Amino acid sequence: MSAYEVAHLDELDRFRIDEQGLVWRPVRRRFGIRAFGTNAYTAEKAGDRVVEEHREAQNGHEELYFVVSGRATFTLEDEEHDVPAGTFVFCRPGTKRGAIAAEDGTTVFAMGARAGMPHEISGWEGIFVAFGYLRNGDEERGREAIEAAIAERPNEWQGYFNAACFESLTGHKDAAIAHLNRAIELNPEAREAARKDEDFDPIRDDPEFPA
Amino acid sequence: MSEPFRIASLSEIEVGGAPASARWSPVRMHFDISAFGVNAWTAREDGQAVIGEHTEDSGHEELYFVASGHATFTVAGDEIDAPTGTFVFVRDPKAKRKADAKAAGTTVIALGGTPGKAFEPMGWEQSARALRHWATGDFEEAVAELSALKDQHPEEPGLVYNLACAESRSGQTDEALAHLREAVELNDDFRELAEKDEDFDPIREDPRFASAVAGQAGAGRPGP
Repeated sequence: MSAYEVAHLDELDRFRIDEQGLVWRPVRRRFGIRAFGTNAYTAEKAGDRVVEEHREAQNGHEELYFVVSGRATFTLEDEEHDVPAGTFVFCRPGTKRGAIAAEDGTTVFAMGARAGMPHEISGWEGIFVAFGYLRNGDEERGREAIEAAIAERPNEWQGYFNAACFESLTGHKDAAIAHLNRAIELNPEAREAARKDEDFDPIRDDPEFPA
Repeated sequence: MSEPFRIASLSEIEVGGAPASARWSPVRMHFDISAFGVNAWTAREDGQAVIGEHTEDSGHEELYFVASGHATFTVAGDEIDAPTGTFVFVRDPKAKRKADAKAAGTTVIALGGTPGKAFEPMGWEQSARALRHWATGDFEEAVAELSALKDQHPEEPGLVYNLACAESRSGQTDEALAHLREAVELNDDFRELAEKDEDFDPIREDPRFASAVAGQAGAGRPGP
């Protein structure tokens, strides 16, 4: 492995991960960083989402955001803050946070890890990649990514559940049901999650659908 | 309970330092982040070093991001042109790295941590805070602060080196020579730095300086 690697923001992958314009630019994954989590997010247009609304409650990460370019409106615990380029926003775990671009071409650089613990690579990255490829029209690479995500954590239900979503959305009913059965076997809560998840609408009426 | 979030611009986090060096923004300390290391440096003038040449004895993987301006990195002997928006990831802690700003106002953010280990804050950050006294010339206060920190982190090379610098500036020649020798013994990189460092101009002509920089025993002690 080389001692160092270089990449420009413009060279990072672009994965659209929601319907609100949020585009994920994987940084940790690009370099194979193991000591901390780091990603960038870009919004093409003002009004697009640039930080997903979440709390970091489960993984307990401290998170630092830096507005690289443009301007973002952060919502932090329901308070709105205007955050121009060159500004940091630090959130302790559990803090509700999210941001919408206030200018076209806004980029936010995010860094995170859990205090007092060796860093563990977040499981959501592989899933985001899979659905990112799917949204970019590359189903095959998406499927490879989701299979890799399952292989990394073969005993966790989330990988199978997301694989079931992926197969349902891509019209592979049998594969979707097989993955969902495995997820439910590992964690019965997957059944309830599947009932509420619109990704299963294409196969919900199938007699073999387990939820 | 700490506040759930805080916001600060780069310029609000800056700490005054020696005019000859880049402005340091101690981001981790400002926000009291305990999960990873993060700092930023902004060049005051063209050609200024924004990341001083070093290796990561800490074992850190380090990610550098050029947040504004334009820098030239040198990593493991290779020169890298790094305009705004460039990431430079240095995986190998032993790889020598440095960055010089091509233009004043260039900012580099540095992130670090050790794979497989919980992050621990490093003594050099606290010692670097004392650099604000360089702007005011209050070197005796710098010596007092750094000496107190050395009691907590006795073998932090950067701290011992900065203490030697402050002692040199405040006329405490014997102490400066002893601590310079100690710093060089802890980290050989300080040998070269001390040769060029203006902080040691007051003691450079002392016959004991050469042996202190060479890290030889006996330097810094009063002569026979």
